[in-house]
Amino acid sequence: MQNLFFGLLTGAVLAVATSGFALLRNTERFLHTAHGQFMALGGLLGLTLAQQFGPWLGLPAAVLITAAIGVVCGKLLFDPIKAQGANVMLFTSVGLAFLTYAVMLVVFGSDIKVFDVQLGSARQIGPFMIAPGEIVLLLIAAAVTAGLWLLLSRSSVGRSIRAVSSNRELAQIRGVPTNQISSVVWALSSGLAAIAGIMMGILGSTSAEAGWTYILLVLAAAVLGGVSNILGVIAAAMLLGVVMDLSSLVVDTAFRPVIAFALLIAVLVVRPQGLFSFASRKEAVA
Amino acid sequence: MISMSFLATVATLALVYAMATQLLNLEAGWGGMWDLGVAGLIAVGAYSYVLLTSAPDAMVPGLGLPILGGMIGAGIITALVAALIGWPALRLRGEYFLISTFAFAEIIRQLIIIGKDVTGGTFGITFVKRPFEQAFRFDAYPFVLLGITAVLTVVVYLICSRVAGSVYGMTMRAARDNEPLAMATGTSVKSLRMSTYSFVGLLIGIFVGPAFVWFLGALVPSTFGATLTFTIWAALVIGGLGSRIGPVVGALLLTGVSEAVRLIEVAPQQAHLLSAVQPALVGILLIVVLRFRPGGLFTEQKSFARTGTDVKGELKRMRPVGMAAVNGGEA
Repeated sequence: MQNLFFGLLTGAVLAVATSGFALLRNTERFLHTAHGQFMALGGLLGLTLAQQFGPWLGLPAAVLITAAIGVVCGKLLFDPIKAQGANVMLFTSVGLAFLTYAVMLVVFGSDIKVFDVQLGSARQIGPFMIAPGEIVLLLIAAAVTAGLWLLLSRSSVGRSIRAVSSNRELAQIRGVPTNQISSVVWALSSGLAAIAGIMMGILGSTSAEAGWTYILLVLAAAVLGGVSNILGVIAAAMLLGVVMDLSSLVVDTAFRPVIAFALLIAVLVVRPQGLFSFASRKEAVA
Repeated sequence: MISMSFLATVATLALVYAMATQLLNLEAGWGGMWDLGVAGLIAVGAYSYVLLTSAPDAMVPGLGLPILGGMIGAGIITALVAALIGWPALRLRGEYFLISTFAFAEIIRQLIIIGKDVTGGTFGITFVKRPFEQAFRFDAYPFVLLGITAVLTVVVYLICSRVAGSVYGMTMRAARDNEPLAMATGTSVKSLRMSTYSFVGLLIGIFVGPAFVWFLGALVPSTFGATLTFTIWAALVIGGLGSRIGPVVGALLLTGVSEAVRLIEVAPQQAHLLSAVQPALVGILLIVVLRFRPGGLFTEQKSFARTGTDVKGELKRMRPVGMAAVNGGEA
């Protein structure tokens, strides 16, 4: 049962990261490979700033800074090449991933770092042994995803984002300021990456290398959920987290990632459109 | 002072990358299969070569085959693994194929780490059998290896050129550009892709895997991570996806530039900055080339342009049918 709780926690953090990835994929139409690096960047920034200014000031500052970096990258690197199509953007994102990785190596070094945050001593709650800090993390993840969902479904910005993601040209014709919406999406996506990166760091450790591992999990969750559907992506991320942690009951923990990716491939073969996607996506058929 | 053997080593690495990039081009550029799992196939090739050739009484026991036998065996094993991966993955399209090959590469790497008894786990394998190693002095060996790798690279280039000019290569590009039309004209696109994918696996096993092992001199699973895949892809994209000489130029340029950095002398406390230079250069090169020359340095249209001498044999005879595929091919 303990593994079920850890699975939920991992899944919730993964859901935060993957919803940012899916948001960007849906409005800007490319796979943002540097997303994992942005998570690591957010984590490392958060760690450093929290040491300097304390967690209450440092962590939000890290999220804001990462979001700002995301907006600048979107404006400077991705807007000029939008006309070249998804493949050019994908590989520009790979380039950005390498560049971010290099910057992190220079600024933070290559050591594995641990957050100076105590999760508190674990207590028996129902069938689980849970530390108070873990509940806080779970609540934050839930609040962030709920906030994102509310923003997308209830606010006017959210409506514009959904309009742009379903049909960019039509949205533009109907007077949606698509460039501003792009910036908002970049900020949201990078901010979510930073939040997820910080939480990953608190749960385990963080380092410049971690980004390459994060992106694999994010891609897996995004595809499982059928990228275009944010709720599906969240469900898939939770599922992936639970399956990964539950699998360690049956097989050795070393097999965790193997299980995750085997699940991914199995799902892709049976349902190429993702687990929770109901509309067939014609754009995926190149 | 730049030592000659250092230059030879860098050139060897560049040539190994050039081979891998050409094969990736065959698969992704002409075949349209965007494979993010190249590192996985290279890992299979490298490990099976080492396990086939190393002595039965070594730390990690092998079969003790001769080098040539090891290369061919590695090729066959890698082709089989590629077929195994391709069977489910090739049913998927676009970004889904991309992601599933990515996942397969990661599975392969994890299995290598887990299978400690066979592969040496994270510790790896420290002894590799290299061609003619006993016949030469230790300090002369880098040049011998450079020569061997150069020969292999030329062989790979000739194979890729042959495929490019053949009906097979043309069909491949036709299936990439217009799949329904290719199917309508009687091409079995599915088996075509399957055979291309396995063929690329075979060549990676025969050439890239062993050559990479000879260069490395030891094997650890962390070499075959996502960074290797992305570096090869970066070389291909910079050189020009779908062009002929582009992959070679891209790989040489990328390796040359990023290894030249090691010649800069720095104080020991700044050594960690140096490790960041290579990813930074790869990143900046990718971003800049894609921004100002999205087709890469050499383009597919140029490579297959009908200048009379460029395209020979079957392609020329089949001109009326081939025109659309040759002129309309987009990178």
